Amino acid sequence: MRKTVPRPTQIAVVLCLLAAGTMSLGGPAMAAPAERYLHVRVQDPAQDQSVNVNVPISLAEKVLPAINNHGLHDGKVSIHSADMNGVDISAVLEALRTAPDNEFVTVKDKDADVRVAKANGNIVVHVVDKKNRNQKVDVTVPFKVADALFATAKNGQLDVAAALQALSNAGDVLLVTVQNSGQNVRVWVDSRNRQD
Amino acid sequence: MILLGKVVLGMAGLGLAGASLLCSEGFVQVKVIEKEPQGHHINVIAPAMLAPIAVRLAPRDDLAQAAWQIQPNLPVIRAALAGLCDTDDVVFVEVNERGEHVHVAKSGDSIVVDVDDSGETVHVSAPIRAISSTVEQLVATSSPHKWQSTAPDQR
Repeated sequence: MRKTVPRPTQIAVVLCLLAAGTMSLGGPAMAAPAERYLHVRVQDPAQDQSVNVNVPISLAEKVLPAINNHGLHDGKVSIHSADMNGVDISAVLEALRTAPDNEFVTVKDKDADVRVAKANGNIVVHVVDKKNRNQKVDVTVPFKVADALFATAKNGQLDVAAALQALSNAGDVLLVTVQNSGQNVRVWVDSRNRQD
Repeated sequence: MILLGKVVLGMAGLGLAGASLLCSEGFVQVKVIEKEPQGHHINVIAPAMLAPIAVRLAPRDDLAQAAWQIQPNLPVIRAALAGLCDTDDVVFVEVNERGEHVHVAKSGDSIVVDVDDSGETVHVSAPIRAISSTVEQLVATSSPHKWQSTAPDQR
């Protein structure tokens, strides 16, 4: 004689299996955030040279606090108050943060063009060095990174470790590009472990 | 006859277990190919577990200077090796020049370094755990007294 499992039990078993399957599929994605990588690329097409560096930010975060050398201690760089020229960088950042997106500084002369702006939560600096074969430098720093970096500036320290952590949470960002007639330099963060 | 069979089987099992243990940390590979006509071709593949054992057996005086040099950077080395174990596979550095190529990567559980230039091709692969064990063995083998006594500026 064949015994049948009651229908409520069958439904309960199916639901349990579905729940277990969903958890096993979604679990790893929820548990492990994607690794972030800091990439540096230097290219010199004329010399047929290129240097590519890829550093997992989590690795940098672990190694940085272990370095105690040349003013870098516990992930923080010591700065002298003279280096800041009496500027309260935290106050400046706060003022910039609350200001709307805008171009704050524009300098144009025969030697260089300089532009400093706020755009989409980033501080953007653009420099064209006319004396140096029209070298172009673009720097983009997310506000969160700048905040983290200068959070300890009043104590005479730049918190590089905190800035790295903020950078890893800042999403894909192109930090630095330098272009001149010979070389191109590019520094950026994304979640890919190689440069294409 | 049955007893002999059991003994052979036991010895074979013991050998297999020993070989498995020896290979459990992977292999270190060093491959050097000189590109000149009479150049050397060297290819060494050794169980990584032998590296810390070799350090343990090496003369302490010879290791003292290496231990002394490594000591200031030990926290960074330890942090880097621990971090490397946790990271995904990645190409850390890639340098391309005319006639030269350098490639440093983490592949699986190993650090892999490839250098290819006009003179030779070099490939080195070492498991991270073995590097870590070797460094710790190097530090443990040589006491601080030894480092001081063999420091280059104090000799």
